[in-house]
Amino acid sequence: MADLKILAVDDSPTMRRIIMNTLKRAGYKDVIEASDGRDALAKMKVEKVNFVITDWNMPEMDGLTFVTTLRSMGEYKSLPILMVTTRSVKDDIVEALKAGVNNYIVKPFTPDTLKEKIEQVLAG
Amino acid sequence: MSENQPLQYRIQEEISELAASVNEIVTKFRDLQNPLKESSEKVPKATKQLDKISEQTEAATHQMLDRVEKIVQQVEDSKKGLDEIKVCTKDGRTDDISALADDLIEKADITCNDAYTIIDALQFQDITSQQMNHAASLLEDIEVRLQSIMGALKGQPSDETHDEKRRDRKTRVYDPHADLFDKKTDQLAIDDMFARKG
Repeated sequence: MADLKILAVDDSPTMRRIIMNTLKRAGYKDVIEASDGRDALAKMKVEKVNFVITDWNMPEMDGLTFVTTLRSMGEYKSLPILMVTTRSVKDDIVEALKAGVNNYIVKPFTPDTLKEKIEQVLAG
Repeated sequence: MSENQPLQYRIQEEISELAASVNEIVTKFRDLQNPLKESSEKVPKATKQLDKISEQTEAATHQMLDRVEKIVQQVEDSKKGLDEIKVCTKDGRTDDISALADDLIEKADITCNDAYTIIDALQFQDITSQQMNHAASLLEDIEVRLQSIMGALKGQPSDETHDEKRRDRKTRVYDPHADLFDKKTDQLAIDDMFARKG
């Protein structure tokens, strides 16, 4: 946990604050944020990230395109990615799974669920 | 008969022009049917979405108010506890001070958890904002269709009006199914899907 740098990607500033607050409460202190997929990719060029939490519906570059882009880049093939979104239709979840998401949470989430899923993804 | 012929021709000409006009009007009305039908279908959808926003905002606000009321009560109780500690300190009752301090620590923990619950409940903002974007997008579509009808009545090509309106639009990103309480797939089913993937 000590050297884990998490990137939280969400277009809603409120959601970013809530996610960051929840992560800090769970003991994850090193968290950076991005407002969409494009912004996240730009930040990842500058900072090494070990875990990504991403929303789906975002302007500029949505979460699914972001995940697909990451998975197509050699260095991020096995990067842990957790999708946190309002999309709860089964077909969407299957699509996210196929794109390479490691786990999936539907908003609104509880802090326990977020913590549990991060631990599950990290445990592989 | 020959004198009547030009008149007959004129009448025939007038009637065929009138028929052509009626035909044109009928075609225009047929063209208007689709945008009108689409608009009339989108109005109830937008209304339903706005009602949902109102209901869910109210439910979330109540959840938060409940917690705020609990926090206020705990702060009031803590103030009383601090007053008691002051009295105990004055009287030199150290054992009572320790018990009161433990009680205050417990109350502070509960207050903290209640405050976190409020933070978590604020997720409703993201969900209702997506619902509002959905409703706004439906209303914008209705506006474009109505503009297209107005344009058609004025004899303007409908594509021109559509393009003009779309250029001015804000990009709206939303999940049409976003809901605070109704998740189409629950977390256990999602976990199962990911577990099966291995």
